Amino acid sequence: MMFLAVRYLLARRRQTLLTLLGIFFGTAAYIAISGFMLGFRGYFVNQLVNNNAHVHIQPREDFLSDHSLDREFFGRSYDHAFWDPAPSGRKDSAIVENPQSWYRRLAADPRVVAFSPQLTASVIFSNGKATAPATIIGCDPLQQMKVTTIADYIVEGSFTDLAAGGNRVILGDELRKRLGVRMLQNVLVASATNAPLPFKVVGIYRTGNRFTDQGAYGALADIQAVNRTPSQVNEIAVRLEDYLQAAPIASTWSTLSQEKVESWDQLNANIFEVFRLQDAIRYVSIGAILVVAAFGITNVLNMTVMQKRKDIAILRSLGYQSRDIVTLFFSQGLILGVSGAFLGAVFGYLFSRYMQTIPFTGGTMGGRAGGTLIISYDPKIYIQAVVLALLSAIVASLLPARAAGKLTPIEIIRAGAE
Amino acid sequence: MGIVATGVGKSIGKPIVRILGDISLEIRSGEFVALTGRSGSGKSTLLYILSTLDDASEGRVEIDGRDVARMSATEISEIRNERVGFVFQFHYLLAELTALENVLMPARKTGRTEELTSYARELLGRFGLGGKEDRLPRQLSGGEQQRLAIARALVMKPRYLFADEPTGSLDSANSEIVMKLIRESNRNFGTTVIMVTHDLGYAGWADRRIHLVDGRISSTPTST
Repeated sequence: MMFLAVRYLLARRRQTLLTLLGIFFGTAAYIAISGFMLGFRGYFVNQLVNNNAHVHIQPREDFLSDHSLDREFFGRSYDHAFWDPAPSGRKDSAIVENPQSWYRRLAADPRVVAFSPQLTASVIFSNGKATAPATIIGCDPLQQMKVTTIADYIVEGSFTDLAAGGNRVILGDELRKRLGVRMLQNVLVASATNAPLPFKVVGIYRTGNRFTDQGAYGALADIQAVNRTPSQVNEIAVRLEDYLQAAPIASTWSTLSQEKVESWDQLNANIFEVFRLQDAIRYVSIGAILVVAAFGITNVLNMTVMQKRKDIAILRSLGYQSRDIVTLFFSQGLILGVSGAFLGAVFGYLFSRYMQTIPFTGGTMGGRAGGTLIISYDPKIYIQAVVLALLSAIVASLLPARAAGKLTPIEIIRAGAE
Repeated sequence: MGIVATGVGKSIGKPIVRILGDISLEIRSGEFVALTGRSGSGKSTLLYILSTLDDASEGRVEIDGRDVARMSATEISEIRNERVGFVFQFHYLLAELTALENVLMPARKTGRTEELTSYARELLGRFGLGGKEDRLPRQLSGGEQQRLAIARALVMKPRYLFADEPTGSLDSANSEIVMKLIRESNRNFGTTVIMVTHDLGYAGWADRRIHLVDGRISSTPTST
């Protein structure tokens, strides 16, 4: 019956084309929008996974409750103080307690590739009259390079130059501009309560993320000295063999200690919520397009069944069975679905290729300098688009086809179909 | 071999209207039978029941000794495809297909298109449609369209040809041609013809006439 179905479709070209366009645009839109959204998302997740640590071990966070301060009052926790009003707020620790035990644990864990103790401090940089508050990360440069990709973003100097010690600093490009400083010049670095110390600029990094590029890196011991907190760290950044295992590993570690242990995805949970919302919007909007296209197919097939009642009577009198008639009309919907989905997928792919040439630097979200839109060509997108289009065409064709199959030749002849 | 109807009746609609009642007849293989009667006498209904296109409300129809009511949908479709040919008052051709494709539609059902293509061309030539195989039905005259419909009905070399007012929409010249083709198929190929007509002249071409009045056979079937 495929032969006759094709003839029917070709006989009413305009109707066929309009119906085809519905499926075509639905499929193409799904591929283009999904490619754009997932491309950006993939890039973003890649940045999160590759540029930063997979697990962050940070000082514990305590929330005050009615009995949080009992021990301070009575020296034991089973005597209670009663409050009116009860204390509230947080009583955080500023440092990772007993980092040595963490170092031993991490060094012994085969899932850990590397870890880097860090001290992040808020400081004030100054160069002559130019001053800028910034965050500086003190770290072991060699370990830090194993945990993050910061070394890839060095545009001048080398990240390993920090390892030589002696008050050296690597500045983010934005911070460098604000201070008006060049390589190998000295800048003064001061914490809120301590006198400024001179640091030599031995490198510049540029990630494209404006926020990150307003910071700086120094050797851990140097920053501990600036902060007057020798031997203290306020984060241990950990890189794992398998970043997808970060969340369960972080959850396990958090039960073993008082420190706040979070994986890269737990830390960015709100961003993943936004992604889920994006997915919902994507599915609903494309679903709406395909539902409209499906209604188009149903309408056209219903009309065709009405117009072709005479043909149904002829075919039944020639020995064609009810299921042949169902096949005849169902295959028309299927042909529309398959060709619309195929052409839509091809157009969606070509449009994605075009979108990939559109310049996009990403602004504060971390795009590449001089880059273009990032598009995903994940086969899953194409499979989903084609399956959705085919499903809508199949569902849309079933009712008219079944109705056509139920018509008996004598009903049509009696009704005087001509 | 042949068609036997025993006590066949047909009622339709609500309230029920009885349009055929107590029809018993036998049509022998190779016969040319004309069903005559006024409009509404039930002759077309009887034709459709005898040809399996319609069901009898009562009674029994046997084709080649087999009770139609006991046949499965597949068996009935096989009978329609291989043993029975239909010619309707209106040509009922598929507008999207060429003349040759229309003729071969029954063969397509059983995958015998290639096998019967030369026979279909031969039929078209014999029916005065040679050289018009690739034309669409709308490119043919009314008479040519009806001849094409007869060719389609005969392409599977059916044992029975059912014709419902085959000349009803044609002028007298074309009617004559169509009737000659039907008679030739009966005489030359032994096709059993059951034809509904209200034209007594053409009814006279048949071996036997069955006259219906108000859904009943009015008198003993007569031979001409």
